[in-house]
Amino acid sequence: MARHNVRRRKPPTINQISAYFLHHLQSLIFSLGKIYQAPTTTIMTVAVIGITLSLPGGFYLFLKNIEAVSGDFRSSTQISLYLDLGTSEKQARRLEKDIAGMDSVATTRFISRAQSLEEFRRDSGFGKSIDTLSSNPLPHTIVVEPDEAETFTVRSLQNRLQAIPEVKIAKLDTEWLERLYTIIEIAKRSVTIITILFAFAVLLIIGNTIRLDIQNRYQEIIVTKLIGATDAFIRRPFLYGGVWYGLLGGIISWLIVEIGYLSISGPLARLNLLYKSDMNLITFSFQDFVVLIASSTLLGLAGSWIAVARHLNQIEPT
Amino acid sequence: MIEFHNVTKRYESGFQALSNVSLQLNDGQMAFITGHSGAGKSTLLKIIAMIEKPTRGQALLNRINLNNLSRQRIPFLRRNIGIIFQDHQLPFDRPVFENVALPLQIQGYRPQEIAKRTRAALDKVGLLQKEKSLPITLSGGEQQRVGIARAVVHKPMLLLADEPTGNLDPMLSREIMQIFIDFNQVGVTVLVASHDLRLIEELDKPRLTLNAGKLILNDLDQYDSGDQYGSS
Ligand SMILES: Nc1ncnc2c1ncn2[C@@H]1O[C@H](COP(=O)(O)OP(=O)(O)OP(=O)(O)O)[C@@H](O)[C@H]1O
Ligand SMILES: [Mg+2]
Repeated sequence: MARHNVRRRKPPTINQISAYFLHHLQSLIFSLGKIYQAPTTTIMTVAVIGITLSLPGGFYLFLKNIEAVSGDFRSSTQISLYLDLGTSEKQARRLEKDIAGMDSVATTRFISRAQSLEEFRRDSGFGKSIDTLSSNPLPHTIVVEPDEAETFTVRSLQNRLQAIPEVKIAKLDTEWLERLYTIIEIAKRSVTIITILFAFAVLLIIGNTIRLDIQNRYQEIIVTKLIGATDAFIRRPFLYGGVWYGLLGGIISWLIVEIGYLSISGPLARLNLLYKSDMNLITFSFQDFVVLIASSTLLGLAGSWIAVARHLNQIEPT
Repeated sequence: MIEFHNVTKRYESGFQALSNVSLQLNDGQMAFITGHSGAGKSTLLKIIAMIEKPTRGQALLNRINLNNLSRQRIPFLRRNIGIIFQDHQLPFDRPVFENVALPLQIQGYRPQEIAKRTRAALDKVGLLQKEKSLPITLSGGEQQRVGIARAVVHKPMLLLADEPTGNLDPMLSREIMQIFIDFNQVGVTVLVASHDLRLIEELDKPRLTLNAGKLILNDLDQYDSGDQYGSS
């Protein structure tokens, strides 16, 4: 009779592979149905994931903008040439013209000793004390702007300018920029740490949600085991549940960051108008979007996998 | 189909629920397990369903030793059995149809085949018109019949039932037992644990009576062996 039964059962089953895909599809739809049936729980979980992920996402975008702005600064690198005090204004202006003709030089600007002193008097607030000075202590200055921002070119231009006899000091105004870059580097690492921490938080959130889900379906799991379901079969809907949570949470976090971006870009446009500047905020690129959604989905899968591995095997019929 | 050789089951608590039970149920036979509460009826069925393992002795299902089964093999062996447990409810958030179709889905049947067989099983227990209802909206007897439909939908070789008529009225109990007898008549081996001595008496089937874990009565061999081909 056993043999008879096996023969009777064989034909109606589809082949292993399509049965496998069919169940994957069923689990996918089933887990989506569960989400649809319990909207409150799902919305809460997805919102928590979204908010959690929007933090590293927002920081990342912030950094990206700072980097873009600092890139603009880099292209405005200047070399200030302080000339010997003994250099006459006529000599200095001739020198400016020579320098303007040099390689890698974009523009030059001449600031005479008198102008420098005037500016200093106006800006420093030491007007009175400067008036007591018998002679002008400030040198003629030529401000040179290189035609490219590449560090090596700028440095070699600086060296060539320093070699000119009348030039006392050729000062590259990049120290503050280097400092900015160091700060950005620190910020980048902080974002990495924040991202790892928050990814871990999402893992825990999803793991816990799936754990509760498993507990709620305790009876069903036992029944399914008793009618011959394999562990993989039982696992599948829960894993897909995690995938949905991750995917939806990722989309929510993207929306949160985009809304934040929009709310900042309005005032920024007005600021640009007022200052005639053209700072532009950068938002997520398509690639960023894909990475965000893919990693949150993966986190969902990983979180549910951990929950399933820890809790599902413990459930056995008694 | 089922063989027990001196099976003893001692639970972790130290309680000995079965002592030296030996029996042989042939392919196509039907029998009742009776005995007082706590006699070990459920324990015996659980060993066959691979829910519990014997502490000593050997239990065989289709000549396969159940003492040392790997975890991976159990699901596939269980697909040959239909199990009806009184206290194992149905998943309440799935309609009746989905509940009954579950064993077929697990085994990867084609969707059209699933629909056909599920309706046939529901028809057999008289619940075809309830296929879209949620189990929670059904009466106790109807739920029990859904459970039976699910246990037989994949045409198992062996049907195990633990107190299937536990809280049903005598009329319904008789109907349910009749369903089991019908299945037995088409060749399914059936083993039913029940308290309902009056009903069992009426049905004239072999009995296995347990008392404090010991098999005190076994009249299996006084009935038709049920197996035309000679048994294992
Ligand atoms: N998991 C367990 N751990 C410890 N003892 C158990 C366990 N399961 C059952 N027992 C004990 O084993 C004995 C037999 O239990 P079993 O469920 O087999 O009885 P039964 O004949 O089915 O009784 P009933 O008719 O009341 O269902 C009982 O005394 C019970 O307390
Ligand atoms: Mg019992």
